[in-house]
Amino acid sequence: MPVDMELEAVLRPIQYPMPPYPPKYVVLANGKKMVIRQAAREDVPAILKSVHPCLFIERDYYDVVSARVYGELLAWYRYRVKSAYCLMGQVDGYLVGIVNGRMEDEKVGMSYHTLAIDRGLRIGSHLFAAKMEYHMEYLNQEEVLIVAESPIGFRRWMIEYPLEETKIPHELGGGDSYRLTREIYFKAKPRLVVGDRPVPQDLMDEAMREVKFADDDTIRERIAGLKGR
Amino acid sequence: MKKEIAITAYKCRKCGKIHYPYHDRCLECKGREFEQIKPEGDVTLLAYTAIFNLPWGFDQRYLILGVAEFENHVKAMGQIKVDSVDQLKAGMKMKPSWEPVRVQYGEDVYGLKFEPME
Amino acid sequence: MRDVAIIGAGMIPFGRRDEDTLMEMLAYASLKALDDAGLGDKSVDAVYLANMGGGMLQHQSAIASSLVDRLSLLPAAADTVENGPASGASAIKNGLLAVASGYYDTVLVVGGEKMREVTGWRATDFVATMTHPQAEYPYGITLPGMAGMFTRLYMEKHGVTREHLLAVSLKNQEMGTLNPYAHVEMALDREGVFDSPHAVVNNPVSADPLHLYDLCPVSDGAAAIVICPLEMAKKLSKPPVLIAGFGQATDTHTLQERDDPTDLKAVTLAAKQALEMAKLKPSDISVAELHDAFTILEIAESEHVGFFKKGEGGKAAAAGKTRLGGQIPINLSGGLKARGHPVGATGVAQVVDIVWQLRHELPKTRQVKNAQTGLTVNFGGFGNNVLSFVLKRVEP
Repeated sequence: MPVDMELEAVLRPIQYPMPPYPPKYVVLANGKKMVIRQAAREDVPAILKSVHPCLFIERDYYDVVSARVYGELLAWYRYRVKSAYCLMGQVDGYLVGIVNGRMEDEKVGMSYHTLAIDRGLRIGSHLFAAKMEYHMEYLNQEEVLIVAESPIGFRRWMIEYPLEETKIPHELGGGDSYRLTREIYFKAKPRLVVGDRPVPQDLMDEAMREVKFADDDTIRERIAGLKGR
Repeated sequence: MKKEIAITAYKCRKCGKIHYPYHDRCLECKGREFEQIKPEGDVTLLAYTAIFNLPWGFDQRYLILGVAEFENHVKAMGQIKVDSVDQLKAGMKMKPSWEPVRVQYGEDVYGLKFEPME
Repeated sequence: MRDVAIIGAGMIPFGRRDEDTLMEMLAYASLKALDDAGLGDKSVDAVYLANMGGGMLQHQSAIASSLVDRLSLLPAAADTVENGPASGASAIKNGLLAVASGYYDTVLVVGGEKMREVTGWRATDFVATMTHPQAEYPYGITLPGMAGMFTRLYMEKHGVTREHLLAVSLKNQEMGTLNPYAHVEMALDREGVFDSPHAVVNNPVSADPLHLYDLCPVSDGAAAIVICPLEMAKKLSKPPVLIAGFGQATDTHTLQERDDPTDLKAVTLAAKQALEMAKLKPSDISVAELHDAFTILEIAESEHVGFFKKGEGGKAAAAGKTRLGGQIPINLSGGLKARGHPVGATGVAQVVDIVWQLRHELPKTRQVKNAQTGLTVNFGGFGNNVLSFVLKRVEP
């Protein structure tokens, strides 16, 4: 059925102007270089292919997180969420992690999720940091509201930054929000936010050429780390 | 009000070796009789670390801990009241105090804390 | 006393094994060792099971009784041995003495732990219960914290540097990629964990001055061996591995009560006893598995055992002397650093890896050519209960 643009004009939320996130690269513990760059709306159907296999992994709440990411990205793709964005990490062109969020208003950012597809390399930490960097340094917001849905997330964000407890409900519907303020961000930045710009041309070309996706079994193995007996 | 340091150390009546914590027999001479002594004076820092992966029961980002020696040679572990290990050096003098070091079952647990002298 | 040999060795891949219970892991490793020994349907006289946390983590006690039932080894004698992270070697020692005395002929020793059942906070707390309940534990001290204090003192006294520690991490994680049983199968890159400014996130301080990659992972896993008198073992097809020597020593519970906290007396004593019993010198050893729960321990133990003089262990690691082909190859399994450290399993896993070395069964990338002798150090608490074994290949 064709999209009824008159109805869409009513249904689509307003979008705040959002300056782009300038890409950067990070050297990982295994020496590989991860490019972190902003995904375009058109990338969403392809990204969802990597999210899909995670829906069936109970470990560390991957099922919950990936189901929500799936919905959030789809909603963004089909104009059902306000001022959303998605950053992605790529190693050798392969998608290794995703973070997303949105602007609640010009001052307040709403953090959604962090999904590390390759594990054991602190990819989630780097991507979460990039997300906070985007809110604070490029969207110039005053604060970001965050909740953790897994114990690992709680340890990485709430304790490592450390974030401030609030009584503000978070739109994900779980526990109350924790808050990243500008003061907390800039204090934590030297130990948590790294990356170099500009991304060398060859690395950037490789990342832009194609978002590569590991097959379902590889993704599941990397996350679940399942081994034979 | 400043609380008294509630540690008891044990001085062997036979050879004089000081023990903390308690042992039923002296680690040096096997003596079984001890004089109870209280740690006295300030402390000298012997060893220290900052731990970033804390056990269950601690919600903070990190904890700085060390072992220090009192003026009467009682050695004990304690938490250190500094922001960073960069402020510490083995051999430095510190002030000991007796303060809450953790919460268990909703109650404060008291223990040693060390703070650098001005 | 009779000479005692290892006739069966088995291990399951270490890692995070959500799909297995503790009992399943113990059973799989046991069956591998029993099959390796070629026992077929025959039973064993006794089972010694090493485990530290069944009671705390799985809320399960008397697990040796449960295992013999599960494995249909009834009515074999069965004991659980709990000696912290040295439980594995302690269980082997108990089995060894039982066979050496002539009381039992065939004994299964199995060690296992399931630590990933709980979150990192709880696992850290579980391990910290080894510390003194009044003088240490309430302060929030952890085993990495103990190692951090020890490292700083050791660096100051013996000139160990971060470069030396890094050499151990790089070597052991590289070996882990070659070991199908290893928990960590990722080679580290010097730039990513040390040289690059990005290393501040990749390899953060964990227990100052130790960083994330100076620490072993928290693992699930199990390993097992079967032992019997050497004379019986000689009739079997595989080369028996003689337990030529063992040693065990203890030290003060708290670090603060050691005259010199950098002196790991129990390591020195345990290794000395083991070597003397085997009538060997440190220089006679072909390959070693040392307890590198923290990189500093591999260096410190290599000195305390007598492979290197004090102050030389770090330099030796950085110079490649502890790599395959070096003066004394250490932790070619990846060590605790990469194979992983399911606490109750570790002491047995170390011996299993040495057995494979002495049988010359490993692929070229990990096999010490013509290895004849091996040494292990299993380090309990923070060096307050240490065991060492010297193993020797016996030609069939």
